[in-house]
Amino acid sequence: MPQMLPNFSSSVKLKYVKLGYQYLVNHILTLLLIPIMVGISIEILRLGPEEMVNIWRSLDIDLVQILCSSFLIIFICTVYFMSKPRSVYLVDYACYKPPITWRVPFSSFMEHSRLILKDNLKSVDFQMRILERSGLGEETCLPPAIHYIPPTPTMEAAREEAQIVIFSAIDSLMQKTGIKAKDIDILIVNCSLFSPTPSLSAMVVNKYKLRSNIKSYNLSGMGCSAGLISMDLAKDLLQAHPNSYALVVSTEIITPNYYKGSERAMLLPNCLFRMGGAAILLSNKNRDKRRAKYRLVHVVRTHKGSDDKAYKCVYEQEDSQGKVGINLSKDLMVIAAEALKSNITTIGPLVLPASEQLLFLFTLIGRKIFNPKWKPYIPDFKQAFEHFCIHAGGRAVIDELQKNLQLSSEHVEASRMTLHRFGNTSSSSLWYEMSYIEAKGRMKKGDRVWQIAFGSGFKCNSAVWKCNRTIKTPTDGPWQDCIDRYPVHIPEIVKL
Amino acid sequence: MAEVSLTCKRTVISTKPVQPGKFCPLSALDRLMERNYLHIVFYYQSTVERNPGELTKKLREAVAEMLSAFPIITGRLFKTPEGHWTIKCNDAGMRMVEARAKGSVEKWLQNLDREKELQLVHWEEMFHKPYFWSTFYVKVTEFEEGGIAIGLSCTHLLSDPPCATMLIKAWADMTLGGKMITPPLFHPLPGRRPGNTNTNHEPYVELIDYYKLSIEKPAPVFNTKQVTIILAFDDEMVRRCITRIAPVESSRTPFEALAALFWVVVSKVKGTKGGLTNMSICLDMRNVLGLDRGFFGNCMVYNKVNGDGIEGNELCKAANGIKEVVRKMDADGIMDLIEWLKERNYQDLPWMNGYDLICVNLEAVDSYSAIFEDNARPLRVSYYIEPAVGEGQILIMPPPAGSRNTFSRVVTITLPEDEVNKLLEDALIQEFSPTILMGLNKMHSSTSS
Repeated sequence: MPQMLPNFSSSVKLKYVKLGYQYLVNHILTLLLIPIMVGISIEILRLGPEEMVNIWRSLDIDLVQILCSSFLIIFICTVYFMSKPRSVYLVDYACYKPPITWRVPFSSFMEHSRLILKDNLKSVDFQMRILERSGLGEETCLPPAIHYIPPTPTMEAAREEAQIVIFSAIDSLMQKTGIKAKDIDILIVNCSLFSPTPSLSAMVVNKYKLRSNIKSYNLSGMGCSAGLISMDLAKDLLQAHPNSYALVVSTEIITPNYYKGSERAMLLPNCLFRMGGAAILLSNKNRDKRRAKYRLVHVVRTHKGSDDKAYKCVYEQEDSQGKVGINLSKDLMVIAAEALKSNITTIGPLVLPASEQLLFLFTLIGRKIFNPKWKPYIPDFKQAFEHFCIHAGGRAVIDELQKNLQLSSEHVEASRMTLHRFGNTSSSSLWYEMSYIEAKGRMKKGDRVWQIAFGSGFKCNSAVWKCNRTIKTPTDGPWQDCIDRYPVHIPEIVKL
Repeated sequence: MAEVSLTCKRTVISTKPVQPGKFCPLSALDRLMERNYLHIVFYYQSTVERNPGELTKKLREAVAEMLSAFPIITGRLFKTPEGHWTIKCNDAGMRMVEARAKGSVEKWLQNLDREKELQLVHWEEMFHKPYFWSTFYVKVTEFEEGGIAIGLSCTHLLSDPPCATMLIKAWADMTLGGKMITPPLFHPLPGRRPGNTNTNHEPYVELIDYYKLSIEKPAPVFNTKQVTIILAFDDEMVRRCITRIAPVESSRTPFEALAALFWVVVSKVKGTKGGLTNMSICLDMRNVLGLDRGFFGNCMVYNKVNGDGIEGNELCKAANGIKEVVRKMDADGIMDLIEWLKERNYQDLPWMNGYDLICVNLEAVDSYSAIFEDNARPLRVSYYIEPAVGEGQILIMPPPAGSRNTFSRVVTITLPEDEVNKLLEDALIQEFSPTILMGLNKMHSSTSS
């Protein structure tokens, strides 16, 4: 008993020391400024008004000098405001919720797998083991073409799925924000694996009768991190075009990508990828400053494609029987960790408070100069952000990030629950996670959110948002009818 | 020329996930029926103009809702350590097939036979590993010129005809109004009521012996091809039949009258000597056992009727014989059977309707109240108890339209082809001149009205 107490008290002491240090470093300017201001005010009060007037007269300033100084000040202010990057606001977003009749329970998935791969029982077993440990629930959805025996992934079915997902999300968004089709100036659609001609963005323009001078873009082949790439593109476009609305649609169309072969490394996406999509409205208009939900603070993109191993780790190819599928290499997690390290090295200085940056600097200097054996200091990102949205790529990804960033289970709850309820919806999963946090009533004004996504290439992209107004519950969104059931405990292995 | 073309085959999942770890054990009566399966076809007219596939979509969404109340259907067969079948409710869903057919439903019904009708159902024999074998199959066929046919196939292990009809009714209620009028109940067969045990009660030996014999018999031989015809007897015809049998009309039921009639005629047609042909009757025991209408499971019991010594035209004696057996199949008797089955714990599978002529009483089956759309009662409902390998089958079913209290009945007869011909020409049948709803296509030009 006595042995535990010193440890406990020493850890408590350490905690307070750390807190004190953080407060000191983060508020150093305020702490320096206050005594100076107090000093000056005391001096002014001591001198009295006549002394002040005398000092002013002795300076001997005439009208011309005053006018020039004020013009200079006005000029500097104007240049500053003109060259400041426009703020990008996220007015609102909507996530697609598939109908419950399209859900795929584990038993049904395994049964279909068994009926279709009847000559490859080892592959069926492999899929079962993946599913057991996947972290998915019984309500994730697949499109109708995949429910058929055998699945019929035709182009027409893929277009239908795209229409249902994208149009539902956009309709929902338009209803929430009150925006009209003619108001949209920029349109960006990202869908990695389905890229028909005419493009999905042309499909949106056609359906909603968007303006003929719309700036439309269609990003394909960029993987699960394409959602944040679209955000980055929208941000840059909104700098070039004042007073505009940008509609970004992030989705992944499952129908054409169902792998029909039996190669194990390529069966993994079948087990994890599910239907989903999100539509986001961004604006740089001043009048949206009040009603917007979030403001975009940073977008940081890291591309590890110059490394061959990283480039090949998520690779679409034909198997030995000519069936096309996506091959996930075994060192995916290692490469993801590398990419993450690269990304946080860039984003760290932008978002971390001064206290953490100093500590990191000291440990870095120390490692270089004094002792290379010192453990590298992992900055505490919980100081920089209130909420984390980690792309729900799979249970392993979330576990890995939780470990690397030293996050608590509450921080990763949004990611885990999104994986459980919706599966891996690729680029739109970040938006389901944001929606979860809002639905739980945890999003308050001033909260900072970090969205991290990984994608083929290998890319690691981050976006930092600041909450503009407290989001009140109950929210309308994909979690509306089931938020009360969450969080659920997800066992390590679900026995099938 | 394929009249019915397949659109797709899929698995329909219930809208509510099933709690894991749920099992639905099968009763002693269920387990006996493993070798049998049912096909039921419901025919409907189109009431409103619809796009192709629109009604099928509506039905599909309703069936997903309905399946949330029937976890036993979306589960899969699983053997317990004792070697008995049980259903593991693993939420795997039910197979559904969608098809299109040329012509209209009315035209289809006019020249129909067994083979054609069975194109409207989808069935897959039990897999060697039934863990991924669906126990129920639904086929929805839209007729291009109007009408729809809903075919249900299921293993007799889980449900008998009244139970399968209850399922379709639940689906219809869900499509029409969004909720089920008779929600299903899943519970074991009731035990003997404690107060009523008569200590001197003699067990119903004949019933138990009948089942013992059926279980121990070797597999029947399938050699003759059987055909099916459907005859409709209206109220007046049945009353005449009853009067023939008994002077006092009220003491005989339509079932007894028609069963006796066909027993006598089929014996004549088969040329049985020294009495009437071997026949077993199959009765629904739900009322007798006091079960609720929503009870899900098998509750039909077979018993032999004694035809020795009854001469060719002695309808009265035949009817008496049937009445006697019906009377003896009371709650106590059935309890004796159930207890005996539980005790014996048989692993052998009988062919419950593989030997004798079977006469099944489906009068109380409420098929015509399965209404999917406003004002659209089924045009016809056909039942098939498969496989048809015994001497023959007589199914006595309720009439299509109108009130429940009428005596009119529809009778489905399955016999070898030459016997059917002789039956239609038989004097007794001609005397009552029933309407032929489904006859022999090749032989008779339509004598139906």
